[in-house]
Amino acid sequence: MSYAELAVTTNYSFLRGASHPGDFVEQAAALGYAAIGIADRNSLAGVVRAFTAWEECEAEDRPRLLVGARLVFRDGTPDILAYPRDRAAYGRLCQLISRGKLRAPKGECFLELGDLFDFREGLLLIVIPPAEIGDLKPLLAGLGADAWLAASMLHTGEDRRRLKALMRMARQSKTRLIAVNDALYHHSDQRQLQDIVTCIREHVTLASAGKRLEANAERHLKHPAEMARLFRACPEALEETLRFAECISFTLNELKYNYPHEPVPPRKTADQHLRDLTEAGLRNKYPQGVPNKVRDLVEKELAFIAQRGIAHYFLTVHDIVAYARHPDRNILCQGRGSAANSAVCYALGVTAIDPNNFEGLFERFLNADRKEPPDIDVDFEHERREEVIQHIYERYGHRRAALTATVIRYRSRSAIREVGKVFGLTEDVTGKLADTQWGHHGDGLSEKQVRQAGSDPANAVIARAVHYAGQLTGFPRHLSQHVGGFVLTEDYLDSMVPIGPAAMEKRYFIEWDKDDLDALDIMKVDVLALGMLTCIRKAFDLIHHHGDERFTLASVPKEKAEVYEMLCQADAIGVFQVESRAQMSMLPRLRPEKFYDLVIEVAIVRPGPIQGNMVRPYLKCRKQFLEDRNFVFDYPKPGPQHNQGELKEILHKTFGVPLFQEQAMKIASIAAGFSSKQVNGLRRAMATFRNVGTIGEYRKPFIEGMVKRGYDPKFAEDCFEQIKGFGSYGFPESHAASFSLLVYVSAWIKKFHPAAFAAALLNSQPMGFYAPAEIVRDAREHGVTVHHPDAAWSDWDNTLERDGDRALAVRLGLQQIDGFAEKDADTIMKTRGNGYTDFDDFARRTALSRRAYVTLAEADAFRGFGLDRREGLWAVRRLPDDRPLPLFERLGAPDQGEESIAPLPAMPLSEHVLADYRSIRLSLKAYPTEFLRPGFDAEGFTPCGRTGDLGDGAFARVAGVVLMRQRPGEGKAIFITLSDETGICNVVMWTQQFERFRKEVMGARLLLVEGKVQVSPEKVVHLMAERLVDRSADLRLLSGEMLTAVAPGPRHPRNVRILPPSRDFH
Amino acid sequence: MIAGRANNSLYIAALEERAGRLGLYKGQPLANARAMAPALNVRSADEKQDAALLEGMVEWCDRFSPFVAADPPDGLILDISGAAHLFGGEAAMLNLVTQKIGAQGFAVQAAIAGTIPAARALAKFAALHIAAPGAEAESLKRLPVSALDADEKIIAALRRAGLKTIGQVMARERDELAARFGKAFVAELGILFGHEDRPLNPRRPLPDLMAEQRFAEPIVTGDAIAASLLSLAQSLGDILEQRGLGLRRLEASFFRADGAVRRIELRLGGASRDADRVMRLLQEKLEKLHDPLDPGFGFDLIRLEAMLTERAKAADSDFDSNENARSEIAYLIDQLTARHGEARVLRFVQQDTHIPEAQSVGIPAQDRDFAQQPWTARHRKNDPPLRPLRLFEKPEEIFAALDTPPDGAPAFFRWRRARFDVARAEGPERIAMEWWRKEKPTRDYFRVETKEGQRFWLYRDGLYDAVNLHPRWYLHGVFA
Repeated sequence: MSYAELAVTTNYSFLRGASHPGDFVEQAAALGYAAIGIADRNSLAGVVRAFTAWEECEAEDRPRLLVGARLVFRDGTPDILAYPRDRAAYGRLCQLISRGKLRAPKGECFLELGDLFDFREGLLLIVIPPAEIGDLKPLLAGLGADAWLAASMLHTGEDRRRLKALMRMARQSKTRLIAVNDALYHHSDQRQLQDIVTCIREHVTLASAGKRLEANAERHLKHPAEMARLFRACPEALEETLRFAECISFTLNELKYNYPHEPVPPRKTADQHLRDLTEAGLRNKYPQGVPNKVRDLVEKELAFIAQRGIAHYFLTVHDIVAYARHPDRNILCQGRGSAANSAVCYALGVTAIDPNNFEGLFERFLNADRKEPPDIDVDFEHERREEVIQHIYERYGHRRAALTATVIRYRSRSAIREVGKVFGLTEDVTGKLADTQWGHHGDGLSEKQVRQAGSDPANAVIARAVHYAGQLTGFPRHLSQHVGGFVLTEDYLDSMVPIGPAAMEKRYFIEWDKDDLDALDIMKVDVLALGMLTCIRKAFDLIHHHGDERFTLASVPKEKAEVYEMLCQADAIGVFQVESRAQMSMLPRLRPEKFYDLVIEVAIVRPGPIQGNMVRPYLKCRKQFLEDRNFVFDYPKPGPQHNQGELKEILHKTFGVPLFQEQAMKIASIAAGFSSKQVNGLRRAMATFRNVGTIGEYRKPFIEGMVKRGYDPKFAEDCFEQIKGFGSYGFPESHAASFSLLVYVSAWIKKFHPAAFAAALLNSQPMGFYAPAEIVRDAREHGVTVHHPDAAWSDWDNTLERDGDRALAVRLGLQQIDGFAEKDADTIMKTRGNGYTDFDDFARRTALSRRAYVTLAEADAFRGFGLDRREGLWAVRRLPDDRPLPLFERLGAPDQGEESIAPLPAMPLSEHVLADYRSIRLSLKAYPTEFLRPGFDAEGFTPCGRTGDLGDGAFARVAGVVLMRQRPGEGKAIFITLSDETGICNVVMWTQQFERFRKEVMGARLLLVEGKVQVSPEKVVHLMAERLVDRSADLRLLSGEMLTAVAPGPRHPRNVRILPPSRDFH
Repeated sequence: MIAGRANNSLYIAALEERAGRLGLYKGQPLANARAMAPALNVRSADEKQDAALLEGMVEWCDRFSPFVAADPPDGLILDISGAAHLFGGEAAMLNLVTQKIGAQGFAVQAAIAGTIPAARALAKFAALHIAAPGAEAESLKRLPVSALDADEKIIAALRRAGLKTIGQVMARERDELAARFGKAFVAELGILFGHEDRPLNPRRPLPDLMAEQRFAEPIVTGDAIAASLLSLAQSLGDILEQRGLGLRRLEASFFRADGAVRRIELRLGGASRDADRVMRLLQEKLEKLHDPLDPGFGFDLIRLEAMLTERAKAADSDFDSNENARSEIAYLIDQLTARHGEARVLRFVQQDTHIPEAQSVGIPAQDRDFAQQPWTARHRKNDPPLRPLRLFEKPEEIFAALDTPPDGAPAFFRWRRARFDVARAEGPERIAMEWWRKEKPTRDYFRVETKEGQRFWLYRDGLYDAVNLHPRWYLHGVFA
């Protein structure tokens, strides 16, 4: 007895199905099905997951996997299952779903029966009769041949009566009856979860869900024998499932991916064209002649590319990059990824890392595993990436270019919130449970966390909610667009996978995510946005505008010692990647001297190497190397029959410590003797969310493999632990290298053009770790003059000014003013001409809204007109609310007479400073703590900037404004950055103490920290917190106002807080 | 502390002093507060209840002055002109009011002034202050500008200009202020300082739908009471008719000469203003009282008050017999309920659940909100009914034999010592119990017809599986 289930709703029919596609496949195999069909609601989103599970399925006689969709119409037509007979019909099914999606808002699909007829050819259809069967004969007659009528036996009480009716109807309309169980989950144990997702979908609690829930738990995959028993009155319906499955030849293996051909001119092969472009690029890059080293590399690479047939991929990337680079647009971009670090990519301009200057990076690509798809991510300026994206759509058309999807899944926080609601728990309880997690990651709540939230895990309802939240975690919730992964095809993409609109206008994305694409060997190009590129381009523009040459990423002077010296001092605020607390404390230890050191610097301060305990060993060796340049690391060796230098080859650049993903893979394949299939599996286990936990499976073979080849077991174990550390946060060398170039370039700008750097950074906000206040402070500490934003002088952007022959100074732009609109700034810039004579002239000519003037006055931006903040505000208040009609404006006469008024009370400086913070989040007049200093001195506090002077081990009390709070992923420490007028103080607090001082850590704006000073030999200063005191109340001393009760109701934080909030990172 | 909701996020609406000491403040986002103090005890704000509470306070304050108004969300305004001397002068009265309200557990701040805005400002920022008549300006001078009853934006603007006290604002030219903040603001200032007057508007809602009769000579006899009630019902009916309203709830108050008050509440199933009908229902109610109305030395005041009304059509507009029948039934229900009590006169309402015994519940028949709820039955023409006409309150266990696992009906069964041979059966209808309440076995229901033609609704309690070899059988209902 055999059976094929064709009506299967997985959890990719969001909030309807209650099992993963893979679970269905495995269960079908376990039950000995002949075939299993996956048919989600107007979607093919889950089929690749099913396919992957099916390929991994080791059952001897695994069921066939059929791919289809359940068409749900909105014109009253009953649901119809559609299975494509062959590849062409599959394409039509994709087009049908795409059509429905394109006419609906994101996430929905509007179909009518007429649409089905347009794409009917080659589709096998199964009509699912509704609860009230009605007369289906006209529909069945309309569908014609290749249409079946489904019958199910779901224990409704009238199954047999219903079956009889359906048999009669099938006979009369000359269609065949086919058995289905209309499964919503693979096993009856999932029924509870199905009830829960139904409640989430319907926004009801279990108690009030009533008949929206299924009456029983019958909608699972049933054993063929049970199906036979249920259908004993109509065995032919059961046999029909097998015949149906036999009609289908299509499998997902047949999807063949073709690169787009556009970039290749007619009558030229892709390989030839790639060579021509490469040669042209080389002539351009090396006008003096191509160095032999580069020539050799290029030849090897081109041969390799030709052999793998991936020239199209390079051409496609080149095409996109060439568009951005075009002088009309001049969008800065840079490639990264294994294939990006090739000499060919340098010639094509995809990367700016010159293979002639840098050792070792460029063999990577050639050594790449043949199975590995070429991988190039291209970063563009974040403000201009949209232009590139729209160009791609224009060039390839919406039917051939679309973004990849990202599957948004339930994380433990969102799961407990939703499930808690379903169980009728109040938002308060679920909120507490969810809040026990600092970030939004994590897999389910532990009992301890439940207790921490003040709930009793023994409470039955809470225990249940927590249990089912755990089960729901990992369920897909909806599809969203990937940040920038584009799939481009030669054939119509909408014949390969359905495409639908994204929430963002003019964006479209497919139903598959990057894992799905990987599984089907479909290429994608990541078109990503990077704020630092915007910043660098803006800095280049400013430098050029003020008389210097026009730099590019490739033309910035290489390997300047001053740049490395600056970085060794941890003077890195604003510098790409290395400006974080952890990076800044690493710089003086690692002491980068050349480009490759930056590559390591970028890669080493990551959760992967930190968790894998790679940092210390590396630094130890680095220190020895810095002391003795001839230092040679002693690499562990395999048994004598093997190549004694094999590890050295892999690890010589990193002193024997695997820091990069590529190295980990190499160790697995060479030292542990993994097969390429095993290596691939390990790579996937390290890379993707879905496989979290599977990495453990590789432990034994890895260690045994290394031991077998003669390595010390202890060493083998360490190696594996290090590799495991990559688990969630591995960082490949190829990415690190590309990033390092930006580290170097941004550091170079900071060193040699500090004013341009500060202005460009401010103009590219929000980005990076530091708020404008810190960027401005840093610039001033580097001798740059900074001017307050002023309506008389400022543009929207932050600009550079040269007063006489003096150095360039930064003029803060109107964009720094909170709540000021860009279009108002445009008006000011347009009407400014040769300047305004006074405030009245300014107001008359600009004619902005009253609100805009108030905003400017509050920012103290009328000093150019001789009005300070209060005077400005008082003057602005007098302007009429509504503007006169343009006709009358011509008359131009001031409509209000001169007014002579008594002077307003003068504003104390401390209040000005606070007001500056309120409106531009920084003050050039003074630092708030300056006003508190006398009091702080009296209490014996050490200024932040002097903390290190106390010496290692000293006890210190330091008070400052909280700039930043950070708790790295799994770290044991919390980092807090304090600042005052003297500088910054880095505070470290162990997590054990966090609970005691939680209130202070989370709530204080001005914080007093008491603890021990720690000064490392490299002069890195930390304050190890022992006690925290919230001194935020002191800030009120700065305002001369009477303390007033805060009015009720939520208000804009600006009105409540005296200083802008700190920036928090997880 | 209390959390309110605005712009789709939770914030602190009110908090205890203890929470304030933790550094939490009003208006703080809740998530933020939680991060600081995870153990917060949070209740949701209930604006309706707050408003009701304030209304209650208004009534309670009647004892101080007849003119009391609520000043939402949390203020009360008492016009004490001519009342203060009753309490020993303004200062004594202020103390008394503060203390009495405080004794009920409220935090209270109060002040006395010649104008409402001045009093409000003083109460918030200078509690217990009494402004001498005409000297409001002097008292207000030192208050912060936030004490002004003006738009938050104006207050912020004043503060930003360095004018932080009301005194500093008063020192500016009127024209200067008017040019900046509008004439209305200047006018408000005038009112605040008592330069311009605005009459106090007692905002207490008077029970306008009320009829009362006072008796110079207290009445004692039932007849006199009945006559009085009837005439009151008629006058109330007239008022209601003028407004197009009908009664849903009525309160009759009997004020005894010795000060005792007895209140009787009457509910009606449908809106009515028919005096005879109201009268008859009142009589029924009075007769059925557990402790009958005791006139003692007689009632000197009887009052009828409409507590709840709704729109009602004019009485004579309807000749529709259905409508009449409905109103007859409504009257019957009212009568029965008045006589036997709410819990005895029920109507069945359908519930949304799969569980057969929970599919209907009885609720008081007078509750009209449910009157129009239709019963939806899954039933097709020519098909037998799925559910029995009569469902047993408690399923009765039966002995069933020769059922075929896993899901067959029995061949015969014994119920109440009689044997029934099953001739035909249909099923199973499988109904799983609500797993989130208590794990109970899934039931398989069968409709069976015996050889004698009787039809029953049976179920097997639990499925056949490895642990459950002999599930029990029950009879849950009979078809007609």
